[in-house]
Amino acid sequence: MNQENIIKGPAGLGLLALSAIVLLASFGYAITSLSSQGHAAFNATSTVPWGQPIATYLYFALASSGLGLIASLPLVFGFRKFYPVVKRCIFLAFIILISGMAVLALELGNVFRMLWVIPLNLQIQSAMFWMGVFYLVDLVFLLWKFQKMDAGEWDSKTSKQVGIGSFLAVLLASGNLALIFGMMSMRPFWFDGLLPIYFYLTAVASGLAALVFFTYLAHGFSRDNMSAPLRNLLEGALPKFFGAVLGGTLLFIAVRAITGMYSNNPEIHLVWSEYLFASPVYQASLWLGILLPFVLMLMSSLRTLAGTQVLVAILVFGGLFAERFFFVVGGQVIPLFKGTWEWDILSYTPSATEWSLTVMGSAMLFTLWVLGERLLNLSAMPPETVMRGNADEAAATAHS
Amino acid sequence: MAKWGMVIDLDKCTGCQACTTACAMENNTLPGESWQDVLFYHQGKYPSAQMKWLPRPCMQCENPSCVHVCPTRATYKDMDAGGIVFVDWNKCIGCKYCMIACPYGVRFYADEKPLLEPDLRDIFPGSNGQLWSPPYQNPEQDWKRGIGIQPAGVVSKCTFCYHKVSKAPAGTPDLDEDIPELKEYVPACVRTCAPKARFFGDLDNPESQVNRLIGDKHGVRLKDHTGNKPQVYYLGAGAGVPAFEPKPRS
Ligand code: SF4
Ligand code: SF4
Repeated sequence: MNQENIIKGPAGLGLLALSAIVLLASFGYAITSLSSQGHAAFNATSTVPWGQPIATYLYFALASSGLGLIASLPLVFGFRKFYPVVKRCIFLAFIILISGMAVLALELGNVFRMLWVIPLNLQIQSAMFWMGVFYLVDLVFLLWKFQKMDAGEWDSKTSKQVGIGSFLAVLLASGNLALIFGMMSMRPFWFDGLLPIYFYLTAVASGLAALVFFTYLAHGFSRDNMSAPLRNLLEGALPKFFGAVLGGTLLFIAVRAITGMYSNNPEIHLVWSEYLFASPVYQASLWLGILLPFVLMLMSSLRTLAGTQVLVAILVFGGLFAERFFFVVGGQVIPLFKGTWEWDILSYTPSATEWSLTVMGSAMLFTLWVLGERLLNLSAMPPETVMRGNADEAAATAHS
Repeated sequence: MAKWGMVIDLDKCTGCQACTTACAMENNTLPGESWQDVLFYHQGKYPSAQMKWLPRPCMQCENPSCVHVCPTRATYKDMDAGGIVFVDWNKCIGCKYCMIACPYGVRFYADEKPLLEPDLRDIFPGSNGQLWSPPYQNPEQDWKRGIGIQPAGVVSKCTFCYHKVSKAPAGTPDLDEDIPELKEYVPACVRTCAPKARFFGDLDNPESQVNRLIGDKHGVRLKDHTGNKPQVYYLGAGAGVPAFEPKPRS
């Protein structure tokens, strides 16, 4: 077995230094402009109160949930083929969520106050209260599950129970996150009881993109550096699964777009016709960031290639980030009750400070990830998976 | 306890914005932070084009969606204060979910790009934790009810001038500026309205003039389909909100 994690070597140190510098620079920039100008450094306003930092948080939180859901394939549903990525999945889910929360913290008006006012006032009517509860539970379960795996406990009764608990926490957290938007009947573009399903699908798509990208990066973009079971997964089940999830995502977008465009309600159809489809960025992200990856994953000759998979992961990163952005802003572009003061669709472009938060979240993710790859063994898997993988490979070699 | 309500007669309103100005003076709000505003709408095309307008305070909804979504109970409906919806500035974390959830767009996060330059916050920098401190400000302050000048990072909104209304003798059916002993208790927008298009009174009192006006003159609540059930009623022709239409593309 010729396993090599290049992040453990000098390349990892270089990446660590680079991402730490970007992290410090973007954090420094954000903090300086926030402390000198307050939230006037944002382009979000009282008419479009939720801007790119919220979209970034949403993207990160859902990518984390997606990774959590992927991890439950082997842990809850017995898809043993996914064991080779499960530990990396859980670690990534944890650090992506932390990075997203860091971005959210800088978006809020009074972040530290949250620590006491939310527990002391227990406003159970608010979906945002539940978001705090469920994502906290999710974080605890992710840590617990990771700790079990780190101790080599893959199949014990408690590790199974923790796995199930974690799966439920992820479903609740991301489903409830969807309802923060989906329950807003005064914002008809969002109002949709099936939004949790759409969030689950897109969460898994963005989780897969992160998983594929970071797994390849850890192994220097070469399958030769990977273990046999991991290679089997990347050549077999994973790209097919990725394709299916992207297909589901496209279907969901299509159904939402068709009902939206068909509707007479200007607060829905104008968002589609005058904002989303009128934007070249949205068009590009839809066709190049979701449809093209789907097509690539459908082609059996292409989908198993390392280069295609990395390309698809990167395209999906961009495609789904834009999807989140346009979703969040799209719910707000029709002005509510403003008369001729706002007599056109509202426009919003993120400011440099808002971008710096997105960069900060991503740099934080990279920094934590490199540290994780260097200090922990994220490629660990149950011994029988290793044995079976090697045996399969030996059989395949003998066959050819 | 009273249930405070407002009635706005659109047949009398001239759209002069005196109420908006009075509110800004009374509550020391920043430009653009219009707790009270007059909205102008145009509807239809020549030869039947119409211009309409309606004054718009916070509706102090009976079923306020802003309260339902607030994760901290910073936004709350105080039944002991006539059913007014307040923001507790000591609790608000500035998540802005309430601004998303209010169908009437009447909540403000003044910690944003200034509407007008120069920025008043730079000219009169804030002291005592306030976002800004003008040379004169209303001495009335109650941060638990969002009265005064807010600190940074919280949401502000119309309070139905609770600092005035709360001092009215208990059981008063209507706060009418024409009754000399009551005029100090009348909300600033109502008191200043020259054509007397605004009325303020107790919706729970069968004797109140606001109830009579709503009953006799077919008072309506705007955007009633949202189910928020405003405590603000509109009378007269034109009490409706045209559907949103984007600017015609040339
Ligand atoms: S008008 Fe908006 S801010 Fe006022 S009570 Fe109703 S929902 Fe809340
Ligand atoms: S911004 Fe403040 S008042 Fe509004 S929902 Fe958040 S915590 Fe509540």
